[in-house]
Order: sequence, then C-alpha cells, then structure tokens
Amino acid sequence: MSDATLLSVEGLVKEFPGHTSLADWVRRRPAPPVRAVDGISFELRPGEVLALVGESGCGKTTTGNLLMGLLPPTAGRVMLDGQEVGELSGRGLQRLRRRVQMVFQDPYESLNPRMRVGDIVAEPLRVHRVASSPADLRDRVARALTSAGLAPPEAYVHRFPFEMSGGQRQRVVIAAALALEPSLLVADEPVSMLDVSIRAEILNLLSALAKEQGIGVVMITHDLSTIAAYADRIAVMYLGRIVEHGPTRQVLTDPQHPYARALLSVVPVPDPSVRRTPVILSGETPDPSRIPPGCRFHPRCPVAFDRCPHVDPQLVEVGEDHQAACLLLGDGTGRATPNSEGEVPESAG
Amino acid sequence: MSGRGGYLLRKIGWALLTIFVVITFNFLLFRVLPGDPAKSGLRDPRLNPAAVESLRERFGLDKPVFLNFDGGNPFDSQYVAYFGALSRGDLGTSYAFRDQPVSDLIGQALGNTLWLILPSQFLAIIFGAGLGLFAAWRRGRPLDVTALTFSLFMWSLPTFFLGIILLVIGANWFGLPTSGRITIGANFASFWDVAYDVGRHLILPTLTLTLVLLGEYMLIMRSSVLDVFGEDYILTARAKGLSTYRIIRHHALRNAILPMVTLIALNLGFTVSGAIQVEAVYSWPGLGALTVNAVGDRDFPVLQGAFLLIAVAVVIANLIAELVYGWLDPRVSEA
Amino acid sequence: MSVLMEATAPPTVEPRGALRSFLHHRMGVIGAVMLLIAVLVAIAAPILAPYDPYANVRVNILDIYQAPSGEHLLGTDDGGKDVLSSLIYGARVSLIVGFAAAAIALLIGGLVGIVAGYRGGWVGSLLMRITDFFLVIPDLALQIVLVAIIGPSLGTIILVIGALGWTTTARLVRSQALTVRERKYVMRARAIGAGDAHILRRHILPAVLPLMLANMVLVISLAILSESTLAFLGLGDPTVISWGQMLNFAFGRGAVSAGAWWALLPPGFAIVWVVLGTTLLGTALEDALNPRLKRHHLESPGSDVARDRRVEELEPRELTTPSAGAVAAPRDPAAPAAQEESARRDEGPILRVRDLSIEFDTPSGKHLAVEGVSFDLNRGETLGLVGESGCGKTTTVLGIMRLLPPGGRVVSGSVWFEGDDLLSLDGPALRSFRWTRLSLVFQGAMNALNPVRTVGDQIAEAVRLHAPGTGQREALDQSAELLERVGIGRRRLNEYPHTYSGGMRQRAMIALALACDPDVIVADEPTTALDVMIQAQILELLGGIARDLGTGIILVTHDLGVVAQVCDRVVVMYGGAVAEENDAATVFREPQHPYTQELLQSFPDLAHPDRPLRGIPGAPPRLDDMPPGCRFAPRCPHAFDRCREERPPEYAAAGGRAACFLLDPTGPREAVPSAEPRP
Repeated sequence: MSDATLLSVEGLVKEFPGHTSLADWVRRRPAPPVRAVDGISFELRPGEVLALVGESGCGKTTTGNLLMGLLPPTAGRVMLDGQEVGELSGRGLQRLRRRVQMVFQDPYESLNPRMRVGDIVAEPLRVHRVASSPADLRDRVARALTSAGLAPPEAYVHRFPFEMSGGQRQRVVIAAALALEPSLLVADEPVSMLDVSIRAEILNLLSALAKEQGIGVVMITHDLSTIAAYADRIAVMYLGRIVEHGPTRQVLTDPQHPYARALLSVVPVPDPSVRRTPVILSGETPDPSRIPPGCRFHPRCPVAFDRCPHVDPQLVEVGEDHQAACLLLGDGTGRATPNSEGEVPESAG
Repeated sequence: MSGRGGYLLRKIGWALLTIFVVITFNFLLFRVLPGDPAKSGLRDPRLNPAAVESLRERFGLDKPVFLNFDGGNPFDSQYVAYFGALSRGDLGTSYAFRDQPVSDLIGQALGNTLWLILPSQFLAIIFGAGLGLFAAWRRGRPLDVTALTFSLFMWSLPTFFLGIILLVIGANWFGLPTSGRITIGANFASFWDVAYDVGRHLILPTLTLTLVLLGEYMLIMRSSVLDVFGEDYILTARAKGLSTYRIIRHHALRNAILPMVTLIALNLGFTVSGAIQVEAVYSWPGLGALTVNAVGDRDFPVLQGAFLLIAVAVVIANLIAELVYGWLDPRVSEA
Repeated sequence: MSVLMEATAPPTVEPRGALRSFLHHRMGVIGAVMLLIAVLVAIAAPILAPYDPYANVRVNILDIYQAPSGEHLLGTDDGGKDVLSSLIYGARVSLIVGFAAAAIALLIGGLVGIVAGYRGGWVGSLLMRITDFFLVIPDLALQIVLVAIIGPSLGTIILVIGALGWTTTARLVRSQALTVRERKYVMRARAIGAGDAHILRRHILPAVLPLMLANMVLVISLAILSESTLAFLGLGDPTVISWGQMLNFAFGRGAVSAGAWWALLPPGFAIVWVVLGTTLLGTALEDALNPRLKRHHLESPGSDVARDRRVEELEPRELTTPSAGAVAAPRDPAAPAAQEESARRDEGPILRVRDLSIEFDTPSGKHLAVEGVSFDLNRGETLGLVGESGCGKTTTVLGIMRLLPPGGRVVSGSVWFEGDDLLSLDGPALRSFRWTRLSLVFQGAMNALNPVRTVGDQIAEAVRLHAPGTGQREALDQSAELLERVGIGRRRLNEYPHTYSGGMRQRAMIALALACDPDVIVADEPTTALDVMIQAQILELLGGIARDLGTGIILVTHDLGVVAQVCDRVVVMYGGAVAEENDAATVFREPQHPYTQELLQSFPDLAHPDRPLRGIPGAPPRLDDMPPGCRFAPRCPHAFDRCREERPPEYAAAGGRAACFLLDPTGPREAVPSAEPRP
C-alpha cells in the first residue's frame, strides 16, 4: 500500500434547489435550497477501503454521485490523483470516468435484461474505445470476469442476466466496473439486495481487489455491521456532515460522537447472550431542508446541553487519526483548532 | 396556497389556458390552412372587385391577422376582433341559413345533443362500472370472458354500423321512429304527448350510444379494479376479517374509481365521436348532425362555431372530472 | 416490495420469452390470421373480384339492389355494381389508410415520446402539454373540420388521421422511456461515461421499440375505424371505393327501405373483421411484451386449501394426544431439555402447524414452495421464522393465515389454533377468527394501509367489525388510544397514510394489528425497509407488546441479529422446509444443521468485528429445480452420497430438531431402506 493520496475530498457541498410552490413564488418567497451534503472532507489511499455510513437522508448517496462526477458540487472539490474532478468536462471527464467506476446496489436492476454478460462487461470498453482489436476486447472482458470470480469466463459471456443468481449478477456488475482497470471503486450498498449467505463472498471479493490490485474503495452503506469486517476506516454521516471518522476498530469499539454511539448500540448482534443497552433515539432524521441550528444532532441527542443549539461543532481529533464533531469532545469549543480559552462543559460524559 | 386550493387553482388555470389555445387554434384553422373558406368564397369569378372588397370588409379580412403593425391601434386585427366577437357571443352568420346567427343554431343543437349524451353517459357509466367490477372480481370465469368478448366486439364495431343495425331492428321489429327528434306534422294534445313522442325518438340513439360507451367503460373499470385487487391494503382488509362485499364497498371501489374518473375524462373525445355518428345515422338534430351537414353545405361559420363549442365543452367536462378526482383522492394536495 | 412479491413476483420478461408467450396467446394468433387474410385479399383483389368496380358502366334501373344470386354473390348496390367486388377492393383502401396513418402516428408519437421521456426538462413538459392538448380535442370533430377545409383525398385522410392519432403512442413511449431512463442499468451506463447516443441506441430503443410496434397494431385498428367513419359521413375520397363509403351510399340511398341487407351488412362486417383482427393481435403483442400477471387478493375465495378430505377427518384424533409423538421427529429421550420441553407443552401451544405443504402454479408446472413444515407457538412466545429469500417463510405464514395468493394452495397438513383447524374454517367462521385471534403486520406498510381512508378510520373499522355495537365515536377513541400505545399522537388520528413517514406507518400498522387484542401477531419482515434506528424503535415496540400484553409473535425475517435480539425460539427454513428448530440461545450457541452453522459464519457480528466472514458458495435452490436429496446438499461442506439421494428427516438434536443425516443416531452414512423414520 503506497502512502500517496488517491482521492482527496475537501469541503464538499451539494445543494439542491428547494421546491417553491406557485403561491410562494408569487409572494417572492423561494424555498431555501436543500443541503444534501454540507462540507465534508476525507482522503483515501490506494488499496484502502472507506465506509461511508449513515441512515437515509444523510447525504451518503449524493456524496457517491459527487465522487463519480455525476453531479457538479456546489462548493468544495474532489481531487483524484491531484486532478480536480469538478473542473473536468468533455474528454477530461471521459478519462476520469475510466479511473472511477461504480458498483450499484441492485444487481437485479442494474443489468440490462436484453444484453448478454459479455456485452455488459464490454460496454464500458466500447464506450471508451479502449480495446485495440476484437481479440483485445475479448481478452479484457475475460480478465475482468476472472477478476470478479466468474471463471472460466467462457462459461458466462453468452448468458443473459436472468440466467444467473443474485450473487453472480453482482459479480457481473463488478466485472463491468473492473473492465476499465479503475483506480477507485464507489460501491453504493453493494450487498443490501443480496441474500445473507452471498454477501460475505461479494465483500471478500471487493476487499481482495483493494488489497491485491491497490484499488481504492468507497463503500456507501446504511448497514454498519455488514461492512465492519471489510472497511479500513469508517466515516459516520448525519444530515450531510461527517460526524465521526476514524479507523474501523476504534470507531467500532470506542465511538466518540453520541450519534455514532447510539447507532452502534442498536445494531442487532447475532448472539442472544450479549445483552446490551441500546440507546434508542426518538423521532426520525429531520428533513435536510430544515437543518437544526447549532449542532444538527442536538434535538435528538441524549446528552445535549445548553450550548448545542448555538454552536456548530467541527471535527476535532479524539485519537490517532480519529475525529468527531461534538461540543463534548476536544476542548469543547467546537472548533477544529485548539483554543485554550474555551471552557469545558461539566456535563461531559 | 398549497394543498387542495392550489390543486383547484392549478386545474382551473390549466383549463382556461387550454380554452385560450383552443380558440386560437380554431381561429387559425379557418384562416391559415390551404383552402381558407372565406378566401375561396371571395375568389368566386362572378364577384366584381368592389363586391369582393365589401365582402372582405364585412368579414374583417382587410385587417392584419394577429396584430396591427402598420401604426394606429395595434389591436385592430382579425385575431383580436375574433375574441371581441366571441365575448359578445357572436359566432358569425350561417351561410346556409342566411339570416340565422350561428350561435342560435348551435344553441338549439347543443340542447339536443345533451339530451342524447347525458342519459347514455349515465347509463353506460353505471352499467359499465358495475359489469367491469364484477368481471374483475370473477377474473377468468365465464362472466368475465363473456364481458370481455362483448367489449372487444363493441370496440371493433363502428358506431355508425351498430346504429344502422339497431335502426333496422328497431324499425322493423318494434316500430320505433328512426329519424329526427319529434314526429313531423303530428298534432300533440298535451306536453305529455310531446314528451312521449320525443322519448320514443330517443330510444334507439340512446341505446346505440350507451352500448358503444358501455364496452369501453367496462374495460376501464375492469382493469382499474384488477389493479386495486392486487394492492396490499386489500390483503390487509381480508386479513382483518372483512367480507368480500365490505372489502369491495369500503376499500376497492373508491380506489378503483380514481383512475376511472381520469380515463373517462380522457375518453370524452370518444363520447363526442360516438355522438356525432349516432346523430348522423338517426338524423338527430344535435351538434354532430349540424357539423356533418355544415360540411356538406360548406357552411364554414357553423363548422367553426360547432367545433369551438365541442372542444370547449370537452375541456370543461375534463376540468370537472379532475375536480372530482381531487375531491376523491386525499393525496392530491401533495402533488 | 410487498409481502407477496417473494411468492408471486412474475418472472422478468426474457427477450426470447416474448415470442413464446405470444404464441401461447390463442387470441393473438387468431387476430394475426384474420389480419393476414385481409391483407391477402387486398393484394389479390384483381384476381379475386368477379367484376371491376372501377369500370364505368351505365346504370340500369333494374340492376339496382339486386338480391344475391349466382351472378352477384352478394347482390348489387345502389349503382347496380357488384357488392362482392367492391368489398374486395375496399380492403385495399382500409389497409392502406390503416398502415400509412399508423406509420405517421408512430413516427410523430415515438419521437415526441422519446424526447419527452428521455430529455425531460422543460422541452419534455412542453411536449407533454401539447400532447395533453391534442388528447383533449375530440378526434373525430377535428378530423371532420380538417378534411372539410383541406378537401377529401386519400392522402389528406391519411395525413389527418396520422397527425391526430399519435397522442396515445406518445404517452406510452414517454412513460416507457421514463422508466427505462431511471433504470439502474442506464444509470450505470451513464456512470461508465456513456453518452446520450449510446444510451439511446443500446438501452432505450431496444426497450421502447417492441412496445411501439405492438402499439402500432392498435393504432392501425383505430385508423381503419376513423377512415370508415369519415367515409360514412361523406368525407371519404370520392374517387376510391371504401367500406365506409359503401355504407354511406347504401344507407343514404334507400338500402334500408329497400330491404337490401346485402348492401349494408357485408361492408360493416368487413370493417369489424379487420378491426377485430388488429385489436386482438395488438392486445396479444402488448400482453406478451409487457405481461401484467396481476395479483388478485379476492380471487376465488376458499380455493386456497386443497387437502385430501380423509386427512382432515383423521386430524382431530391427533389432537387428543398432543404429545411429543405428534411431532414427526423421533426425539432422543435423553435430551436434557426434554423435560422442560414437555412442561411447556402442558400449557399447550396456541398454534400448532403440522406437516404443512403448499403448492404453487408456475409457468413450468406445479411446485411445492413449502414442504412438510411443522412447528409450535406457545402463548406469549416470540418465534423467529428465519431464512433467505425464497425459502418459503412468507408463504408458510400466508398459508397459515389463509391468505395465499391465487395459484397457491395448501396441499396437505394442518394448522391448529387451540381447538380449531384453521384450514377447515370457512366463510363467517374464518372471518370472525381473523384479527381477533391472529393479526398481521406487513413488510411494506407503505401499501398495507388504504391511501384514501384515514388511519383512524381503518383501525376503527377493525374494532367495530369484531365488536358489533361499538359506535364510530367509541371506536375512534379506541383507535386513538392504540395509536398512542405505539407512540403516535392522537392528533394524527384523522390524517391519511401518505402524511405519515415510513416508520410511523409501520407503527400505525402495529396499532391496527393490536386493534382486536389478538392472541398472535404475525410480523413479516416488519423492519426490513427501515433505517437501523427506526428498526430499533419498532423492535422495542414489538418486544413491549409481547411482554406487556402476552401476545404471541411470529417474526418472519432474514436478519439473524433481529432474531437474536427479540426471539425466544427459532425455526430456520431452507428451500421450503424446516432445517432446524430450537430455542434461540441454543441455535446461536450450538447450531446443529450445517446450514445454520454456515449462515452464522456468514453473518456479520459487531460484537466480534475481527471474525472473518465466510459466504456460502452457490445460491439457494429454485422452486423448479429442487435437489432430490437434502436441499442444502449442493452447498453443504459436509455433504456425502446419502445427502444427495435422500431427503433427511428431522432428528432430535440439542433439545431441538434438525433435518440432517449427520444427526442420525443410527450412524449418518447408513442409508435406511425407507427414508421415513417415523414409526
């Protein structure tokens, strides 16, 4: 694993226009924009697996689309190998697309039922006119299928998707993503539609690809437990922000942010002898068009105190390579830089 | 102003806009297309130039079509004049019936057409919806197959041909009148005699139109009921222990009627087309017969007026259907 | 995804399957033949027609309306011409107008539809507004006006019918393009970097074209009808002979009073023939390309049980000896949990499922979706029914609740709810049993509540149905209390389901399930579509209900974590049968069946994040391809020859039971002559 940064995301923001009704438009009161992603930053090294975890509406899927260059960011930037994704267009964007590939959630839906497996895997090669000859194209398709665990490839190229099981279909999706030999894979809920007994195999495959071929993987998921064994680092998102970010082990065993703690405490564990006290938050994640002031988590936070509605906390170091955004952490100022004048609230803990 | 009020306003606004477009469209239709009726009339070689000029003035054809750019009043144009005339209810004068204003002719015809359409529409909706519901409930059973075959046959049968068949049967076997609205030259002693005579004249046209619409409505209702029967809330209702009757009455019917309302509105053109043919076969003095006769007489003012009225009536009926939809479905406020 | 999709999801349309399913459509083939005959007649008109209808003949008054004879098979018309010949030549006009107008309509409609559906944006909405406008304008009236102004020639008629007939095609193509555009595989192509041209060519057109062609056939029938109507109204091309015009002349020139049926009926039925043929063909094509195998929850009530009558009569005797012997498995008397087990049995389980088998009709024949499933549910117990998709868990509970979808039926077994055999209840007895004893919480609460009735009204309905005499006010009061019990404020009582969030709908569904204070609630994947925090809220709620109200719960789920958290006992299903049953603690601590062991190996565990996960190779078996021996044998790491040949019976193991030869007390590898170990 090299130390060079593969992907670097800085202060990424994505706003969607709010829905203004006719009456509001007449009164010149346009709806405020919806901030789906509100300033997130992270880095990824080659061969590293990062898990973006959060509930629906936290902005994780929008983040994935921003990484893919499928949406233009409102602010901030995504750099791949030192090149800014947002600035690219036309040819440059085409070249970027070859380096970043996506694995979609639903293998039953993401394969065209009218195309054979060989054509599906060859499609990206044809779009980018990568292959030098038909033989080269066949070679590359065969290599991709083999890398995705569909060996021997001849047995699969002529099949239609409906002739395959869910796990095999997801391997076809991965093979199509691998055909262009990308350096970054964005996997959006890669296993949530698969049977439990199939999931581990697909995740093992993704993590092997990262480790053996040095591909960076960003996994987007709502399911903390499934990715726990595969991610090197975890970033927990809430309402468009990363609220905690650190090495998998540390986040899992010693979560710092109250939201991350609650989330971990309610993940069911397949062992009835483990008796835990789940922290069940009341209510549901608020609408991203109405983000609460101050700390966006405070209305549901079990340990919120008087300053939470007023101060928007930034990520602070809480351990080695481990950050969380909470006023109870660090020096309590909610600022990223240490500030000796900030008072530490007593209700900490 | 969101929610139902907004929905109401949006729909009314859309209907008004459509009517505006219909009027413009109607205006252009008779002015721009090749074979412009007024112009072709003016090309009559028997007319001398002075007569042509006076006719042009009479029809307002000396003015520019849309807006007057030659200085003076910019709104002094045929288009604006057309709107002005419409707002006074002036649709011009018939060519064929020299002194009759088009609006009077159309007014009488509209009344007759409504006498034909409303009962047929009512009967067809009631029986069509009932049959469709029953057919869907008994999907694949003999009743369903019979009803489907009937609908398919009705659909393939041209309305005018059905009219001819019923006319022959009605006249020969039942001695029913087959032409017009009332027996011409008869002396009626009382209002009831008149009503009886008109009623007898109405039987065959109404029956024809009802049969034609019935098949269509049955198909629509059957498919929307089938959609609803597949919904999970029907399963919930069954699991709750509701009887089949209660499930249909309280859970299926209202949901099934929703798409039915929309589709009936979209099918109003079909109703109009049926009415035109029925009127032609039975010489029923309604809008359809008026239109067809106007074509034969090359009576373009009547044609233009009748088409405008038909189109506007359909737009308004459509609006009513959408308002009914909004009243039936609580979810429209979300849209 | 609804509760029934697992059992009844129609197979996705396969490209090659469309032709096959079309050929199965008898009406479609009939329609195609009818149309073909018409086309052949039109082409061969000069050969077939005994006279040339276009020839100029002097009309002789005696030739008019001659009755059919050897000379004129269908008699003569108002001009003394041979009706049969005109009829044969008329086919040409009908078909030319039909095909040409449909082609124009298809071109305009297809273009508008694809642009509106694929491009979307303001161009798309403008195009749809224009389409809506033309949809509202009555076709025939506009056709009459246009033909009257432009003048009636065949070309004009084709243009006018075509130019006005595109609206339905546009709507259809647009909606199809819209759906395909949102398909994941198109998004994937976009993510790859494919441009619009590629996506249109490779993904959108192949999906849209077949439907467009099917639609074209229907547009042809409409065009033929329009042409004949215009001709009948006197707006046909006067220089050609068409069926509508023949009817116009005959009807207008005294055929009715002359009693000349031969001048009226043949052209009319010729139109019916062609239109019926095209309609049948078009409908069949649409069905084949876009099958809508609809579920139908009200179809043929009472046909969901097709047991052998004699079995039913024998059942009550079994009831009198509700001992361990009733369980099919030979139990090991030395099992440590046996005494506890029998103690529990003395209370009597509230629900006993015995040897339940359920069959489904599928395109490839009848298949058992559930085979020989037995289990008990004790009062106040929470039982987890676990398995992967397609293992038959949902089908099992639907069979128990007598809610199987059409095409599914219980073929053997019995379901005892206290003293009643649920499978022999019918009509009012079944209805009054439902919800008061056994109620249901679905996976997709989204669709399980009626969208046009308020939530309170739907709960009150259940209350009033099963407690006759309760007033609506009183029932609504109770509904409000039930909603408060599940954490929903009283003020939401009179709101419609669409105003509720996903989690709240699931709570409302639970409130509805509690309405008649049932003994047992079946919850089918109640938290699957929900976020983990909402899942925790719902599970806590269900746990509280089991604890406080003593309600028995059958929890159907694929999530072992959820089972571990809330269930007392677990039934693991695989391939439509029970693989293992035991109390929850034992299942997780000492799984007996290799499937359970492997499943636990592959299930992530946050408490032990370092344990490597291992998937199970292969995929669960399909209904139509069930292995002959043990259903798990093809994926089992311990499988041996016997497993591939024989179905393993259920053996007692670790206080529970499991269906695996490894647990055979007589030695696993010995094949028993009879596969049936029961006494």
